[in-house]
Amino acid sequence: MRLKAQDGVGQMDAGLSKSLQVLYDFRGVRGNQIPDRSGKVPPLDLQIDDMEQVELRQGVLTIRGAVKIRSKGTGGRLVKAVQQAGALTIEVWVRPHNLQQAGPARIVTLSKDSGARNFTLGQEGDSVQVRLRTSKTSKNGIPAVTAKTGSLKKALTHVVYTRGRSGNVSIYLNGQLNQRQQIAGDTSGWDEQYRLALGNELSGDRPWLGDLHLVAVYNRHWRADEVATRFAHGAADGLAGLKEAAVDRRPDFFETKIAPILSNHCLECHDSASNEGGLDLSRREAALRGGESGQAIIAGAGVESALWLSVDSNEMPHDRPSLTRQQKQALKKWIDDGAVWSVDFVDPAIYRHVRQAENWVQRLTIPEYVSTVEEIFDVDVAEEAAKSLPQDQRADGFRNTAYNLNVDLKHVEAYARMAARVVDQVNVRGFARRFSKSRKLTDNNMRPLIANLGKRVLRAPLTEQEIALYRGISTTVASAGGGFDEAVGMILEAMLQSPRFLYRIENQVGDGSRWPVSDYELASRVSFIVCGSPPDEVLLKAAEGGLLSDPVQLREQVERLLKSEKARAQSKQFIVQWLNLDRLGNLSPDRKRFPAWKETLAADMRQETIDFFMHLVWEQKRPLSELLNAQFAYLTPTLAKHYGISPIGQGTHRYDLSNIPSRGGLLTQASVLTIGGDDASMVARGLFVLSDLLFSEVGDPPPGLDTTPVPTSPGKTHRAIATVRVQSESCGGCHVRFEPLAFGLECYDGIGAFQTVDEHGNQLRQDGEILFPGHAKPITYQTSAEMMDLLASSDRVKQCLTRKVSQFLLGRPLDLTDAASLRSIHEKSQQNGGTYQSLIMEIVLSDRVLTTQTEPELAP
Amino acid sequence: MIPFGLQTEISLQCSSSNDSAELNLRPKHSRSGAQSCFPISDFPMKSNHMHRRTLLRGAGGILIGLPLLEEMVQPAAAATESLVPARAFNVFFGLGIPAPLQTEGFDGVLEPLQPLSEKLLIMRNVDQVRCDESGINAHFDGASGAFTATPPDGEAKAGGASIDQVIRKRCHPEGMPRGMVPTLIGGTFFRRSRVSRYVHSYNVDGTVAATIQERPRDLFDRVFGVIEGTADSDDARKQRLRRSVLDSVVEQYRYYAGRKSPLGSVSRGRVADHLERIREFEQRAFEMKETDANSPPMPPKSTLAHGGRADPGGEGIDMKIDDLVNEWRLMADLYALAIELDRARFGSITFLAAGERLRVTGDYRYNGKRLYAFDDARELNKSGSGGCSHEWWHRFNPEKANEQLRAHAHMKMREIAYFLGRLDRVQEANGKSILENSCVTISTESGDGRHADVKRELSGVFHAISGANGRFKTGEILDVGKEGIDVYNTMLEAYQTPERLGPHDREYSRVDGILA
Repeated sequence: MRLKAQDGVGQMDAGLSKSLQVLYDFRGVRGNQIPDRSGKVPPLDLQIDDMEQVELRQGVLTIRGAVKIRSKGTGGRLVKAVQQAGALTIEVWVRPHNLQQAGPARIVTLSKDSGARNFTLGQEGDSVQVRLRTSKTSKNGIPAVTAKTGSLKKALTHVVYTRGRSGNVSIYLNGQLNQRQQIAGDTSGWDEQYRLALGNELSGDRPWLGDLHLVAVYNRHWRADEVATRFAHGAADGLAGLKEAAVDRRPDFFETKIAPILSNHCLECHDSASNEGGLDLSRREAALRGGESGQAIIAGAGVESALWLSVDSNEMPHDRPSLTRQQKQALKKWIDDGAVWSVDFVDPAIYRHVRQAENWVQRLTIPEYVSTVEEIFDVDVAEEAAKSLPQDQRADGFRNTAYNLNVDLKHVEAYARMAARVVDQVNVRGFARRFSKSRKLTDNNMRPLIANLGKRVLRAPLTEQEIALYRGISTTVASAGGGFDEAVGMILEAMLQSPRFLYRIENQVGDGSRWPVSDYELASRVSFIVCGSPPDEVLLKAAEGGLLSDPVQLREQVERLLKSEKARAQSKQFIVQWLNLDRLGNLSPDRKRFPAWKETLAADMRQETIDFFMHLVWEQKRPLSELLNAQFAYLTPTLAKHYGISPIGQGTHRYDLSNIPSRGGLLTQASVLTIGGDDASMVARGLFVLSDLLFSEVGDPPPGLDTTPVPTSPGKTHRAIATVRVQSESCGGCHVRFEPLAFGLECYDGIGAFQTVDEHGNQLRQDGEILFPGHAKPITYQTSAEMMDLLASSDRVKQCLTRKVSQFLLGRPLDLTDAASLRSIHEKSQQNGGTYQSLIMEIVLSDRVLTTQTEPELAP
Repeated sequence: MIPFGLQTEISLQCSSSNDSAELNLRPKHSRSGAQSCFPISDFPMKSNHMHRRTLLRGAGGILIGLPLLEEMVQPAAAATESLVPARAFNVFFGLGIPAPLQTEGFDGVLEPLQPLSEKLLIMRNVDQVRCDESGINAHFDGASGAFTATPPDGEAKAGGASIDQVIRKRCHPEGMPRGMVPTLIGGTFFRRSRVSRYVHSYNVDGTVAATIQERPRDLFDRVFGVIEGTADSDDARKQRLRRSVLDSVVEQYRYYAGRKSPLGSVSRGRVADHLERIREFEQRAFEMKETDANSPPMPPKSTLAHGGRADPGGEGIDMKIDDLVNEWRLMADLYALAIELDRARFGSITFLAAGERLRVTGDYRYNGKRLYAFDDARELNKSGSGGCSHEWWHRFNPEKANEQLRAHAHMKMREIAYFLGRLDRVQEANGKSILENSCVTISTESGDGRHADVKRELSGVFHAISGANGRFKTGEILDVGKEGIDVYNTMLEAYQTPERLGPHDREYSRVDGILA
């Protein structure tokens, strides 16, 4: 293995870092004391009993003879962490001195003696063996898992043993999967009194000789790609980067502590556009360069940095509330620690809001419930669900926002009634036969039937307690003289009302960090995200086989699902909810002003946008940004006339808009233009563009301002009125950011008809300018079509689309902890064409889906 | 759902006269028809009628359907000795009363509250500025801050619990007694772009405490309905089996809401809410079997716009004052009846949403006199949202007469007083009315409708509270000069709740002036 230093490698994923429980990188060793550098409390420091047998040089511990290196305290903290997570990963970088030592010779062990352990990773000749005690193994961890014979060499080797909650075990050597096996059971029997030891058994009778470069234990399962990445990073720079990154919390500190301070207290005057004193604190390069007064930030020296000095003396923020003591301390610590700036652009739209989104369990929305029943039972309950379930209310722009998916009595009543109806409509016997041929009500038959049937209906295996619970229903039916069919029917009714059916139940308890989701949880996430429906049998089988932890397999599953009709239906939900197209059904414009208005026109407008979106996304598979300027439309004759286009026949037809400059793209569609109300408000339209396409926001109107809308009149157009606000000293600061965004829409009236002269005879214009957030200067355009092209080519708009789709698919508002992942999702999806499909793929493959935010277990 | 029998002398009546509409409690058999009207001669009503619970005890408690558990809390030291259930309700009205008009006392727009003045503490100069959320106008912020004292946390979420829910958790930590609606939220409102414009009861996590019932019939169903096809089923065997199914369902919800749940705290709370609804369902489906010929009839179907139709893109809708009042009074009657029959002890009721957009027409009468002829769109000379009554709030000018605003605000006070009057006419075992025994908090969105100045807009937000069984002072108009959060937390302290509203790191400042 070639060891080479390389900048930029070795960054430890935040999820890995937080799940790190013990870390020995053999730095900071004092005397015979090896510190645990995981940062966890209490540290599990080690003690070497015979220094003659070891040598320590440049972060490598060489064990030349039998020695005891064991923890001073017990491993109770480690035991609890693994038990809570239900997952374990052991990572070692080692070089064995010979290939004969066996027993296995202990490399790292948490045990009592040679016969009792929680886990042991050791060398067995030219292989690696791991013994892990579970409720299904012996107390010695037998059966063990052994890597392939001959796979261990006398060279620096990266060994990873990882086990997930479902019992899937993998051993990787140098980033390659070497062995995979199922070790059933849980770790509830682990002994908290056992100590951790390196290089030997606690009893001293299984010595190992070799070089230890790094030993770490994590309480989460690693995916294949994570192992490969870790290996690549370690191999690239001789572990230096890994050792640094393992304990480097500075990037996280910047994003969660410093960026919010800058956003809330500094950027109003010191971003790219305002740039007061020549100082731009929104961008890394500019901020580190400084302003007219010189360098503002001197990395490593807070007390010499003008930024901190001005803040500490309350000179800054100027004419604003001073920073709190804690904020000042955070700023100084950040500079003292090297002023690590982990993002290119501190976007106030992201970092102003410091509250983190809570991890709400997601109740199935009405479409998801309908789709789930259909997928599993082939029964259509759409009509009844629409009638009896209360509507899912819109919150933060979407109807699937988890925190708002609450439940009232009507839900419970509807779920119970629909459960009975589903069972009535399904061929219970035929359904049960898919899972068991026998129709006996005996324990021997019913328990496996319940287990198999439950796994399908509830999307993951049942626990023993759950099987017993459902078995209780069948015995009640039997004791009431009922037969097999009735018993299964009642069980299904219960399952259909179970929290595991109605909610997407996942483990959310851990240590406060992000943990990987289980294979079954991932299967559900993927399926609901891509298709808005539960995993099909193929996906469930993949989860059962542990295949979803392999990114290649996962990618194939997503590609498969994207070909389904359900994926299309899910995307339709997105466009309808994002643009709130359902509101069109309630439009009632003033008939005096719009005498031609009729309700069917609203339905046509809604359908136009849906058809346009579906065609661009699914037939053309074009980048999502082309939603802003694609040159075609699907119109009914009525809508075509409304647009001033000659209809080409009855029914909906596709129209080429290449020669119709006034139309082309979402913002020229009446469904969107009606956002401005009867008066075609530039404020409302501009704010829509600002928030829903440019992902930005503005503050309140300043004090003393009359915000009553000013009516148009002869000689006074909306633009003229808006221009007064834009040029006003008190209003312009904000209005310049959004009203000009609507200038290009001035020619569209309140219901989206195109006109060049308004009702007062005023000539209307199309030219305007866009100030993209984070930019110093606005960009001008001459026509609406140019404006659409500018938006379509803007990366800011593309980022915003990434965020909108991500928010919808994740079912929650995004917060600053999502920022890094979203950047990565966005970049990768753009590299792959920027299509809806590429975006879905990257979202699924991101840590937002592969992991979940946990919170610490409740105190007993 | 079908009506659940109350076995009491109740019937629903509808009046068309906008200063006298009410739901009458009378024997059903004496009704002349479902739509007949029984205007009352005077307003507000007198406390001329024993509380239903009292009647039940006198009759030996044999009637079914009413919760028979007495979940009491220890009254405060100043409270009377009589035990009455703890109740807390938030009463919200949209658009508010500009602070300068509040100084006129009962000579101005507060006139309709005067008959109840001895049973209310009216508070002026209550500051809700801390509820401001930058970037959002104060319709939403102020409405979200009413009863929570916190800014909103998302489009459909408050920043924290509302005062009624904190008291509910304190009094019923394990859930409400069987047969009760855990939290009853109702209202007559139309503007619906953000939830806290019209919902005013929030869980600790800031989510809505229950689904709002916006049609009288929905509220009726929520309170008095039984589950169709279960209670009436004659297939007893099937019933037993379904009961067993529900038992297993309950067990699963209990697990996921409990300490060993794999879910995090907010999710456990969500599942716990679900569990509470299942228990209610369980009782209605399997325990409340009898129906009664004397049960209240289903209210007439609402003729007003609801759902998305009620708020066409923020443009507002036309509204005749009589239609509005009739529907509201039916809602208020049903809500009051739910309280009287001890089906609801906590929740909120809304008369018009924050920033409500109605183009109101029709004569507004009070005490038999026509006070104003509403015709907002004509007077404003605008269509759409520009012709709606909320414009009068935006145009408020303390130097001018503001007669349209005054008429609208007076009308709101009349309707709030109507609801309070319903609570005041029922006497409980301790000789006081429900209004006097309950913690009724009345508030609104702003202290000045002009969007020009957040501080001015969220200062001086009208508040009034009832005596809460001797806990709070009544019969005064008080210049509080404090933040809403301190008022609310003082009220919570009187209920001995361990929780307080608002940020934990803020020093609490008791408002002694409101304590009895």
